[in-house]
Amino acid sequence: MLFQTWSFLIFFLVAYPLYLLVKGTKLRLPWLLATSYAFYAWLDWRYLIPIAYVSAVDFFVVARMARSDRKKRWLWVSITNSLVLLGVFKYGQFATDNVNALLSALRIPLLLPAPGLLLPAGLSFYLFQSMAYVIDAYRGTVERETSLLRYATFVAFFPRLLAGPIERAGNLLPQLSRTPKITARDFADGLSLFVVGLFKKVALANYLALYVNKVYAAPADFQAPALVLATFLFAWQIYFDFSGYTDMARGIAAMMGIRLMLNFNNPYLATSLGEFWSRWHISLSSWFKDYVYIPLGGNRRGSFNTYRNIFLTMVLSGLWHGAAWTFVLWGAVHALGRFATRELERTAFYRDRVPAFVKQAFVFAIVTFAWVFFRAATLGDARLIVTRIFTSGLDNPLCPLLAIVLIVAVWCYQYVFDSRLRWALEFPAVRMGLVVLMLAYLALFAPSGEQPFIYMQF
Amino acid sequence: MPNSNAVWLTPRQWLVAALGLLALFVSAPMLWKQVETFRPGPDYRVPYALGSDYWLYARHCRAACRQGKIPVIGDSVIWGHYVRPDQTLSHCLNDAMGENRFANLGLDGTHPAALGGLIEYYARAVSGRPVVLQFNPLWMSSAKHDLQTTKEFHFNHPRLVPQFATEIPCYKAPFSARLGIVMERHIPFLSWTSHLRIAYLQGMDLPAWTLENPYGNPLAALARPLPEPQNVEAEKGGPWLSGGSQKRDMAWVDLDSSLQWLFFRRAVERLRARGNRVFVLVGPFNEHMLTAENATAFGTIKTQIERWLARNGVPHLVAAPLASDLYADSSHPLAEGYVLLSKQLMNDPAFQTTVLDRRQ
Repeated sequence: MLFQTWSFLIFFLVAYPLYLLVKGTKLRLPWLLATSYAFYAWLDWRYLIPIAYVSAVDFFVVARMARSDRKKRWLWVSITNSLVLLGVFKYGQFATDNVNALLSALRIPLLLPAPGLLLPAGLSFYLFQSMAYVIDAYRGTVERETSLLRYATFVAFFPRLLAGPIERAGNLLPQLSRTPKITARDFADGLSLFVVGLFKKVALANYLALYVNKVYAAPADFQAPALVLATFLFAWQIYFDFSGYTDMARGIAAMMGIRLMLNFNNPYLATSLGEFWSRWHISLSSWFKDYVYIPLGGNRRGSFNTYRNIFLTMVLSGLWHGAAWTFVLWGAVHALGRFATRELERTAFYRDRVPAFVKQAFVFAIVTFAWVFFRAATLGDARLIVTRIFTSGLDNPLCPLLAIVLIVAVWCYQYVFDSRLRWALEFPAVRMGLVVLMLAYLALFAPSGEQPFIYMQF
Repeated sequence: MPNSNAVWLTPRQWLVAALGLLALFVSAPMLWKQVETFRPGPDYRVPYALGSDYWLYARHCRAACRQGKIPVIGDSVIWGHYVRPDQTLSHCLNDAMGENRFANLGLDGTHPAALGGLIEYYARAVSGRPVVLQFNPLWMSSAKHDLQTTKEFHFNHPRLVPQFATEIPCYKAPFSARLGIVMERHIPFLSWTSHLRIAYLQGMDLPAWTLENPYGNPLAALARPLPEPQNVEAEKGGPWLSGGSQKRDMAWVDLDSSLQWLFFRRAVERLRARGNRVFVLVGPFNEHMLTAENATAFGTIKTQIERWLARNGVPHLVAAPLASDLYADSSHPLAEGYVLLSKQLMNDPAFQTTVLDRRQ
């Protein structure tokens, strides 16, 4: 079920009042789990099988771990289980394609059959959340959860199920353990988040997708201006799409008295790639930092090892996003960008003399360039787009002016919000006016049709 | 607040914003009516290009009823697919009456399943009035016309058919889309936004429109006049045989199992429940197009329809066949055909008592 649909509205209008009724009773968790599973099964009931399986396995693994002297063995049981699931559902096709290509190159007359498995929506999100719990339990940084019901709810909590944030057990499980206190202010805050998220997704992301999809579907038909603009628009589309989802998820959770972690914080205002990753998909980048980068050694063993660790982490992060070489390359471009901005930040001139907006523009340019690899359907397309950007002629891109105007408006809002002029946005009339404008725009002009969230496929 | 992910409002501010929004939602369609030039003449029909603009249809319907006109409701036969606005059935009836008593409330492609929705949600203004309701047997001429095939296909006016109450086997819209349609029927603001899209933005939403007109000004598009009720098909109209058509067999659906007939009956019942005096016109239908055997089968259906109408006390007329060269296709008469049809109606006693309120 998608947040921006009428179905969700009906679902929420049923689920929420009943949640308010039972929140102080023993029925709270069963109701939360039932609504979460119903929300998920709406997309495809078969999705319930892997999520229930993962919840049960990780719950019992940690239970056994607590009683066992061989904790590490149980840790590996859980991690192997999660990686096998990821491998089968998400990377099976990718691996098969590559093995078949290799066999063909070696002229070996053998063809592995395509796995043809249905990839459950949000699989990477809940698997990583569950893995983090097991690792934290192994490290002793979270307490073992004693209720399977609560643990299953933690894994399946519906607002964040499809595209995060990837919550940590230390944040979400304690909130599920106590009766939430929900005030009118919580509801208002949640609604504030939800409305902005809805606007980002429906009015902006879905709109920009129209032009981006047109250009990226046939890049050979377009010249440099259209390709540059489509990539620029995609940078904003994916931001609006993904941050819109998490805003809505956080908003719904807030209305239920549960605080989910911040996942986006004006990433396109970052002045270095490192800062970008502390502002973009924060729950994933902190996951990779805590469970991959630091265990690899982090920045403790000299520059070479630091860069190697950054590179490996970024490439793995790329692979997390999708099973294709384009995502690997996307991660690699980000790693190189991080090297560049990290080295530049070490020079006094760049650090102290270069204005912040130049650094922001530089970081934005690298990030946008990397999106080419993320968005392109194939490596061939990505190469074609990059080549044509630098070599093709200048024709009329026929890019909707309104799309550019909307992006500029949002950028200005974020810029003002992060500047000394923020007071101008603090007037109640301005804020109420903005909300009315957003909702009126949605009702009047929003694109029709249901567009799924980009990150759901991961 | 640590970030700009939300425009934070307090509960009280939310209340004010919600009231502001509500005022906007209620007032915008009403204000638009003052701004938009809409002067339907005596032969006005909803323009072909705006066939799915139900907000405009409702507006036309209200305007006609305000003028005390008798609505003639039906599909493209009533709308006048192959004729000009001044050659339609309602025009011919007005000619025969010598005054503008009838309004063309036909809509291209409204099969009975859609007709029910049109009457239920967009023709409320006709309540309590005499109504001429047309039933076109063409909609029972195959399982596909009758919407009974299980394979999904695109049919006319899906936004008017029942979304949840009755299952239509070939209609497989997702739950959310159906819910959106139901919302649009009940919230005038939403049907008004559809009107803006259909009438001014070439049937597209604003984003899609800007993709087609990247440097265009949508406000300028909204300032354009409404399309005229003319019809390019009117120029193409000619006798069906001159187009090379041949006699054929139609796979008539049994009346008892016909979905379209079920929906039509419901539409009649709905109108009568609203206090309308309903007169049903069955046909016209080009029987010259049918093979002899098929014409017999059609005759049986016609008789069954007539029996049901008589049994339920619904005044009606089964249109007598016109001359072959007065049909443009299986059911659409040409201009002269409409003149003859109007004469049949004017001479029909039930029409006179029910619609014209003339006691015999």
